[in-house]
Amino acid sequence: MTGAPMPSATGRSGRDLERSVARLLTGGTYLSIGLMAVGVVLMLIDGVSPLAIAPPFDPSTILADILALRPVGFLWLGLLVILATPLVRVAASGIGFAAAGERRMALVAVAILAVIAVGVFLGVVVEH
Amino acid sequence: MPDAGIALLMVAGGAAAGLFGSLLGLGGGVLIVPILTLGFGLPLREAVGVSLVAVIVTSSAAASVYLERHVANLRLGMSLELFTATGALIGGTVAFLLSEQVLAALFTVLLVYTAFTMARRHEPAPGDDPTPDEGPPPASGFTTAPAHPEIPPYAIHHLGWGIVGSLFAGVVSALLGIGGGLIKVPLMNLAMGVPLRVATATSNLMIGITAAASAIIYLVRGGIDPYVAGPTAVGVFLGASLGSRTAHRIDVRLLRLMFVVVLLVTAWQMAGRALR
Repeated sequence: MTGAPMPSATGRSGRDLERSVARLLTGGTYLSIGLMAVGVVLMLIDGVSPLAIAPPFDPSTILADILALRPVGFLWLGLLVILATPLVRVAASGIGFAAAGERRMALVAVAILAVIAVGVFLGVVVEH
Repeated sequence: MPDAGIALLMVAGGAAAGLFGSLLGLGGGVLIVPILTLGFGLPLREAVGVSLVAVIVTSSAAASVYLERHVANLRLGMSLELFTATGALIGGTVAFLLSEQVLAALFTVLLVYTAFTMARRHEPAPGDDPTPDEGPPPASGFTTAPAHPEIPPYAIHHLGWGIVGSLFAGVVSALLGIGGGLIKVPLMNLAMGVPLRVATATSNLMIGITAAASAIIYLVRGGIDPYVAGPTAVGVFLGASLGSRTAHRIDVRLLRLMFVVVLLVTAWQMAGRALR
């Protein structure tokens, strides 16, 4: 990575990419907070204490929990959305850089996502 | 206390962390972890997992504004993110091997460091930027000219320091549930020659990936409680939104001095937890 010039960010495509990524971050944050806010309201209605033992994370039950209006379903989905938002931002940036012919930055994006994937893999392996 | 009362108290605690974090230029993590551990009696590791989620919320919201205004340097941020994410991967794995006492001791050091940097911080005059006018020639040929009209073109020096510092910031972030801006902003500004505004904006952008890399490990290993994370994250979002709208109307100098005392008292209590 060292020794190569970093291109200027002033180009129109660079500004468009930054604007698109900004909108993606805003959308992900609002969606996540909206989902978690619904979960908190349902916690208040159901009288669920934050200090109660929560069901463990299981992606396969989230949809059923949401359809049953259980707070934990909305909370888990909101958490997944906020954790995914920076990852989607990196992926979108990588695609944008690739489309603009900036192969080096596209590879950086792929490498970041690979590091995250290693983290998930290690977490799953150690836990089980 | 009724269950609903505890949930509302947790929303209020998150809102306080978001509000004061926003007013004082602190990430929420340094405030959220003590609130959840010392205030609600949660284990430190669980508080760190929740704090990482809250940190992603505030950094994503702030980074979107900085990108929209073309202040953040997306290319520099992504280049350094590779190393903060790697550091976070290491820190997130090590965090589950350390005892609660060791984590509390590390957090005590963080609180004292934060109090020290807050006490030394000066109010910048409008347009003031501490970026040195002269410095060594660009180490890597990295130059950039942001699209924001108020930020002059700048050259990036010492990329190697940036890489090492980013790795360290990632490890600290994952261990203690903070964004790591306390490390990254001075590193980019003072060592790499990035203007302060750009360094702050780029750090905010990087925090999302740094915190997400370790938060995913906490999630997979059962270290994030949705019943705590939900109310705290919603509160932090509300508090930070209010803080960003009122910051320009409030003289934060007295507030900053009060918070130095609060941080030192909290450090004392956290030290007691470390020695338990």
